[in-house]
Amino acid sequence: MWEWCWAAIRVAEGQFRLRINYSKAGRLRYLSHLEVVRAMERSIRRAQLPYAITRGFSPHMKIAFGPALPVGTAGMDEYLDVWTTSYIPVKEVLARLVPAVSIDLPVIAAGYVDQKATSLAAALTIGRYEVQVNTEHSLETVTAALDSLMRCGSVEVQRKGKVKTLDLNTMIAEVPKVTRCAIMDSDVLCIAFATRATDQGSLRPEVFLNAAFTEIDAIEISGLVRVGQFVETREGFVKALKSIN
Amino acid sequence: MRASDSLWSRVEPLIARSERPSRYIDHEYGVSLDSDAPYRVVLVYPDTYELGQANQGLAILYHILNELEGVAAQRSYVPWQDLAHELRAQSIPLFSLEGCEPLGSFDLVGITLPHELACTNVLEVLDLAHIPLHSEERTLNHPLVIGGGPCAYNPEPVAPFFDAIVIGEGEDVICEVVDVHRRLRDAGTSRAAVLRALADIEGVYVPSLYAPKSDCFETMVPVTSGVPPIVLKRVVQDFDATAIALEPIMPFTEVVHDRFAVEILRGCTRGCRFCQAGMIYRPVRERSADSIVSATTTGLACTGYDEASLTSLSTTDHSQIEEILRRLNRALDDTGISISIPSQRLDAFGVDMAHLVAGGGKKGGLTFAPEAGTQRMRDIINKNVTEEDLLYAVAYAYKAGWRRCKLYFMIGLPEETDEDVIGIAHLATKAYNVAKDAVPDSQRGNVRMGISVAVFVPKSHTPFQWDGQIPPSEVDRRIELLRTSHLHRGIDFSYHDASTSYVEAALSRGSRAMAPVIERAWRNGSVFDAWTEHFSLDRWMEAARSVAFDITTAATRTVGPDEPLPWDHISCGVSKAFLLAERKRASQGVTTPDCSFTTCSACGVCPTLDVGVVLGGDSRG
Repeated sequence: MWEWCWAAIRVAEGQFRLRINYSKAGRLRYLSHLEVVRAMERSIRRAQLPYAITRGFSPHMKIAFGPALPVGTAGMDEYLDVWTTSYIPVKEVLARLVPAVSIDLPVIAAGYVDQKATSLAAALTIGRYEVQVNTEHSLETVTAALDSLMRCGSVEVQRKGKVKTLDLNTMIAEVPKVTRCAIMDSDVLCIAFATRATDQGSLRPEVFLNAAFTEIDAIEISGLVRVGQFVETREGFVKALKSIN
Repeated sequence: MRASDSLWSRVEPLIARSERPSRYIDHEYGVSLDSDAPYRVVLVYPDTYELGQANQGLAILYHILNELEGVAAQRSYVPWQDLAHELRAQSIPLFSLEGCEPLGSFDLVGITLPHELACTNVLEVLDLAHIPLHSEERTLNHPLVIGGGPCAYNPEPVAPFFDAIVIGEGEDVICEVVDVHRRLRDAGTSRAAVLRALADIEGVYVPSLYAPKSDCFETMVPVTSGVPPIVLKRVVQDFDATAIALEPIMPFTEVVHDRFAVEILRGCTRGCRFCQAGMIYRPVRERSADSIVSATTTGLACTGYDEASLTSLSTTDHSQIEEILRRLNRALDDTGISISIPSQRLDAFGVDMAHLVAGGGKKGGLTFAPEAGTQRMRDIINKNVTEEDLLYAVAYAYKAGWRRCKLYFMIGLPEETDEDVIGIAHLATKAYNVAKDAVPDSQRGNVRMGISVAVFVPKSHTPFQWDGQIPPSEVDRRIELLRTSHLHRGIDFSYHDASTSYVEAALSRGSRAMAPVIERAWRNGSVFDAWTEHFSLDRWMEAARSVAFDITTAATRTVGPDEPLPWDHISCGVSKAFLLAERKRASQGVTTPDCSFTTCSACGVCPTLDVGVVLGGDSRG
């Protein structure tokens, strides 16, 4: 048990912006985004990090998250920023955080970033996904379906009662690749691709896949995981946190 | 019984398709599983995870059982109807959360009985678990099914469904039950002999060993010698010494009462005459200020919660409450963490209290429970608060910055007249105006006040246990009267559905003759009866008709003081003579003081159970 030190925690603007990289794995893929938010907030409190508190009528922890994951989707490369009132070396941050999180919401890395950096939600426009496909169809058939949709160039979705057309040329950042992989002694097909969020909105991975497979019967996707999130720069896709230690 | 293989691989795809999967996935922070324990218990709250997870009684038992050598406890709740449907369709039994093991594979299934309408959910749990509904149908291949909680004090309507029922505080007795069962199980003892042995444990009621005296279900008598004619409740020896779980399970999903809860005292002897909790949890025993403050700060650190709740039946009555709040407010200054207190006592809520409770922020609103609208009625029910108390409390609260307040009232109380009903409207309106006057002009628009009106349900072991409930048509008439009696337009008015209260009243004073009604209602599709959108009076009425049971009489009949009562064989330590005397004082409008503040009222609890009032500080009041 650490010393319980309330003095370190003050209502303040928050002088340090601590970025934490974590996973949403295992059974906890079934948590909603809000449930993940609450769980991480509590972990931060348990770790006794000197989090800053917002001013105003209902003071709460000053914390911000990257793009949300829906219920059922896991994430290997998730991010949050928490503002702190004092500087704690990253090694110490991790030493406190690691035992304070749930096993399936492990912390991977942490680091301080510029106070003025763009918000995670706005900066992390690139999301890499992998998914398993349960089907009797061949690899070629599945590949052809995806290629066909890519050639078609767009997907239609319903947003607030209106039909919106999402442009696949901009919103698919890496074209889908289908491979065969062995999961728990059985042979399944895996699809890997990446999406890009733009001013027009973002393309949900399930929407993209369902659109590709409308013509094919007896095909089911499972185990959707966001394996990586990136910031898009002129140099290409960059991680939101430079590797530490 | 041996642990089964986990059902997870079969259950996961069903959960993925169900509403709110996080209800079923377990793996919360604070959960632990001892898969090798030779004796396995599953503790069930008969409702959804969101409603059951915070139940303190089960949390205490979970903690105690998991500390016992060779014993492991897991949890289970009622799956929502979408998942229940799938489980039935695929013949998958109801599973525990931690190990995802079938409930039927456990040694002991403990189901708490939090309120009467949970009875159909109890059957739903047993059915989904593939456990025979009736105790007499179970074999050595089935777990022991034990009940407990508030409704154990009149267990008869659900008695046939339980092998044994624990009356009173479970901390010590659960260990005794486990101990006895383990030894006998290992020795290969028959089920009947196990139940007979359980009946020798103080506070354990074994329904199969009692039968109605000459076909009269109102009187249950032992069928075997050596079995006590009256089962007396259990009380823990030293409440302050009982552990507070400092590392409780932290739910992921939003649940009710989602805070770090510290039970600061047990029992309440204000003696409000409608209140069963006040009778069954006597005597008053407080935890010391030191253990409360220490447990609260440590628990907040261990859990990461941003709110702690000081729970009890009457928190502001604690003899050291001001000291406790002052110390906690100091410790939690500037952390964004707040302390909450359930319903405040009106006569203890002055200027100091308003500021102390406000402490970390005035999130949410305050609740007060005047219960009745006129002083005459409040004296009848022994709710010793005056109109001044309410108006001062409201004034202090709104002056201190609160902007929302809810007042709880009841209609249908014994001796109630139309004047008393109208009095509710007038009192609420006065309170609303006081609230508006207490805030700066610019904020008058922010002032919110609500009243919630419940229907009186007569409860066992109270001075009003003989009184019938008013019929539903009369409930409707009085609600309408209230609504049209100059209740200020700005007050939010909500009231309980008359038909759920009606069934609740029948169950609350029911005998074992009601068990077939419950079973039939469940077979008709009644489940989640406490949820208004799922309750169907028609199903219950049909169930009653099918077994020729008269619900109307059960709910509304006023019973004579010399008639036997279906719970006469269960005792909470309070004498019937005391309850009868209280009923007489009620009709004379005479009040009875609180013995934890002044002198003994001779209810009988302390000499019968060899206990006494335990205060943390020197005195109360």
